[in-house]
Amino acid sequence: MTALLEVTGLKTHFLTRAGAVRAVDGVDLTLRAGEVLGLVGESGSGKSVTSFSILGLVDPPGKVVGGSVRFKGEDLIQASPERLRQLRGRDIAMIFQDPMLTLTPVLRIETQMVETVLAHERTSYAGARERALDMLARVGIPAPQERIRAYPHQFSGGMRQRVAIAIAMLHGPSLILADEPTTALDVTIQGQVLSEMQRLVAETGTAMIWVSHDLAVVEAIADRIIVMYAGRVVEEGPVAEVIARPGHPYTRGLLDSTPSAATPGGRLRQIPGMAPSVLNLPPGCPFAPRCAHVRPECSTPPPVRRLGPERTVRCFAPLIPEVGQ
Amino acid sequence: MTGQPALLDLRAVSKHFTRKPDFAERLAIRLGAPEPPVVRAVEDVSLEVAEGQAVGLVGESGCGKSTLGRIVAGVHARTSGQLWYRGREDRAFTAEEARRTQIEIQMIFQDPMNSLNPRMRVADIIGEAPVVHGLFPSRERVQRVGALMREVGLDPAYARRFPHQFSGGQRQRIGIARALAVEPRFLVCDESVAALDVSIQAQVLNLFMDLRERRGLTYLFISHDLGVVRHLTDRVAIMYLGRLVEDGPTREIFAGPNHPYTRALLAGAPRIGRGRQTFTALKGELPSPINPPPGCPFHTRCPHVFARCRSEMPRLRPVASGRLSACHLNDQA
Repeated sequence: MTALLEVTGLKTHFLTRAGAVRAVDGVDLTLRAGEVLGLVGESGSGKSVTSFSILGLVDPPGKVVGGSVRFKGEDLIQASPERLRQLRGRDIAMIFQDPMLTLTPVLRIETQMVETVLAHERTSYAGARERALDMLARVGIPAPQERIRAYPHQFSGGMRQRVAIAIAMLHGPSLILADEPTTALDVTIQGQVLSEMQRLVAETGTAMIWVSHDLAVVEAIADRIIVMYAGRVVEEGPVAEVIARPGHPYTRGLLDSTPSAATPGGRLRQIPGMAPSVLNLPPGCPFAPRCAHVRPECSTPPPVRRLGPERTVRCFAPLIPEVGQ
Repeated sequence: MTGQPALLDLRAVSKHFTRKPDFAERLAIRLGAPEPPVVRAVEDVSLEVAEGQAVGLVGESGCGKSTLGRIVAGVHARTSGQLWYRGREDRAFTAEEARRTQIEIQMIFQDPMNSLNPRMRVADIIGEAPVVHGLFPSRERVQRVGALMREVGLDPAYARRFPHQFSGGQRQRIGIARALAVEPRFLVCDESVAALDVSIQAQVLNLFMDLRERRGLTYLFISHDLGVVRHLTDRVAIMYLGRLVEDGPTREIFAGPNHPYTRALLAGAPRIGRGRQTFTALKGELPSPINPPPGCPFHTRCPHVFARCRSEMPRLRPVASGRLSACHLNDQA
């Protein structure tokens, strides 16, 4: 089994005057070709910074201070800026939450898409335009012949996100990093975009990391899930198993906090307190101060325990039994 | 619905936004240029809310749900229609009634950073309005503000701090304490938990439920999040393009939606426990409220559309006890 992407011990810190903010602190993840991985966590859990770090998109004062990111065997942390530029947009593409901020407002969609094609390939303008039209049609934009002449502000939010997806798919990347791509969309439009994404990644065999705070969306689209808390991975496994039987108290807490899963009208079983600042994290489990199952040993770094063939949890007292070593 | 008169009763309320033409435009209009466009944000909405009820107002961006909430809270003036509160029409209010209604209906906003004055201390944010309205003398302020902060789960020791020194969830609690300070009876919550993380959202939802129990509050809960609305409300009204399309008990609507739009909304929302989902998405997008389509506003996207939908607007009519829906399909059965 060869991994398409293998992240080991990734550490991204933001060096501020107040000290080092450990936004990502020792994240491991692997992704096989064609797999959809959901990366879930609340604000400040490090899920977005993890995906930015993979593509080398962390700006100062942020810095990847440790670990490796192997994409098809090549370490992207050590890669030169030229090499990263070759990979970005061609082999690894990214889709952001707000397409209004990722599309240039002053250029027509046509210019932006043709530029993307020509950045990585020697082909004629007409050929590039043909590819762009084809891709716009595939992501479900009606009348692409006319719409390609439009500017981003002439599209609705859902349509803009489709344009962003079309641009990401132009070179048939083997990995797409999607950072909350449907969060800003309405329910019916989110449904449309999710179904397009499902179809496209299945058709093309593209692997995807879907970063989201929304467990329900991740359950709907992902094969595997990674739950992050305070810059660390706390749980990992096949999405259906993790949601049916979470192993980490934090995952359990997230599920209990989601109104759609609870009985209507009843009190939600809330997680007390709030997420810690990643500026001065004490050693030990970062979730311990909010955890109902806390024990004395939780003040030391928790071990990674195996809960199944593909399931791990970082906890002294997992909610489901460990499998034999 | 109960036999007693509703606490709040909206009758055929509409809100249109237009731009006032400037001098040159007025001249142009005189010479035959078209009038500036009218945005029909809310169109002919009738809604009753009984005392103690929690009513959800659901719809996608641009459907007019926030505008309707603002009309209820007195932030926007309506273009036409009537608003009855405690059995009296607001145009017939005495000055004292108008003042009391203003205080009794309070609003809680989505983004507490934009709705709290960043230069005021929390004690002043919470304590200003009740002192101005004479609900308690200013010497009791410290003690009353402390009690309010405790009620919403904040430490009174932080009363001298500024809003930026709090987290998002705590700021939302400050907004709630400010609303509670004037002893409201009716809270209009406009996407009040939408900006919060799941674990913090659960804490604030629990607070809303506790307050309802403790203070007997009535809620108009505006949200795009069906899970939140299902959890918190007794009744739900669904809006589309400025109009109500369905209205009924929350449990019944979630169990068996009548209107095709409600059905699409419920089917389109991912829910935990459904497993891997394939979305049979609704086609198309929300039409513009400047030029709403003729006939049923939903006909451009409806999977069951037929000839009558394109020409005739369906009325909101009873389809079962306590349930209203605006769809021609109900005539066919």
